[in-house]
Amino acid sequence: MTQPKRLSQEEERSLIRRLKGREERALGELYDLLAPWVLGLAYRILEDEGEAEEVLSDVFVQVWAHIGQHDAGRGPLVPWILSIARNRALDALRRRRRWWRKAERWQWARAAEELDIVPEAAPHEASVPGWPVHREVQAALAALPEEQRRVVVLAYFEGLTHSEIARRLDQPLGTVKTRLRIAHAKLAEALKHLKDWMI
Amino acid sequence: MSDWLGMSAKPMMPRPALKTQVLARALAARRLPRWGLAAAAGLALAVAAGAVWAGLTARRLTTEVARLEDAVRRYQDTLSLIRSPGSRVIHIPVTTGGRVGAITIFADDVSHRWLVACRNLAPNRPDQAYQLWFITETGMKSAAVMPMDSDHPMVMALEMPKDGGHVMGAAMSIEARGGSAEPKGPMVFHMHL
Repeated sequence: MTQPKRLSQEEERSLIRRLKGREERALGELYDLLAPWVLGLAYRILEDEGEAEEVLSDVFVQVWAHIGQHDAGRGPLVPWILSIARNRALDALRRRRRWWRKAERWQWARAAEELDIVPEAAPHEASVPGWPVHREVQAALAALPEEQRRVVVLAYFEGLTHSEIARRLDQPLGTVKTRLRIAHAKLAEALKHLKDWMI
Repeated sequence: MSDWLGMSAKPMMPRPALKTQVLARALAARRLPRWGLAAAAGLALAVAAGAVWAGLTARRLTTEVARLEDAVRRYQDTLSLIRSPGSRVIHIPVTTGGRVGAITIFADDVSHRWLVACRNLAPNRPDQAYQLWFITETGMKSAAVMPMDSDHPMVMALEMPKDGGHVMGAAMSIEARGGSAEPKGPMVFHMHL
């Protein structure tokens, strides 16, 4: 099986330099590297392909327009782009929630979530760069105790506040905060080596 | 760290056509602000230039209006002296520097003002000026010092002196540029009204 492509720090620096130099071909290369992950993250949050594609488009518009604001000293490019994708997707999710708040469709969405429906378009590993990182992050997440993983997922993928998580899980707010703090510490330790690689 | 969590989501291969659409939108969106920025800058410049032009025009018009108002006031003042029922008109032919001219005095005994028009007087030497005098019961009192550097007509309104008694006449002499306390130079005219 072909090994997924990984970028070294030097390659990442070169790509960022070209992006900041307004080299349009570099944006295409960035798309090839990250579009599956941005789209996957957006879909994971929104569970709607159309909306996820809109998020993907918005993310690349924003990245191209604001690449100059990326501070390499504060972190690699991928987390920066993923944070943009997550924020965009959560914004869309919140808009949708407002619309659905009083609609029966909300119940359908929750039911689908419970079934953990996965998109059919899960690609083959060799066709997408970044699978090693994906596996490491999944493994780190899976290594968390269920109660900690649950609060992390609710906070990250649903954008819930600590209070909202506490209400959702019927847990004291202090417990939720403690679980999140411990979970983040464990994840940080497990994933600290990722800063050495783009994807 | 937490931003790497996004990588825990399963990747999705975008539709092949999506890449072209996304990149086209991103590149166009980036170009648009540059174009829009240039347009906005041009518009701002035009607005600023318009504002400056409007400001300068308004200032010029304000100055012009003030000048015209001042001229109208002076003409109304002149006209009121000429039309006053108490005005007398004295026309005095004079010769200065071999040139024949005239002094016309509208003397208004009601408002105690004179309107003096000088026409075709020879220009003064640089160190000299014409000086107009009131002839009063107590002597000559200076009415005005009129340096003339050209032969343009000159019109002026003068207040008659409140002291010195009745004004009996007028005189004009050529004095030093700054004027004199009493007539010393050559007399242009001397006339009792």
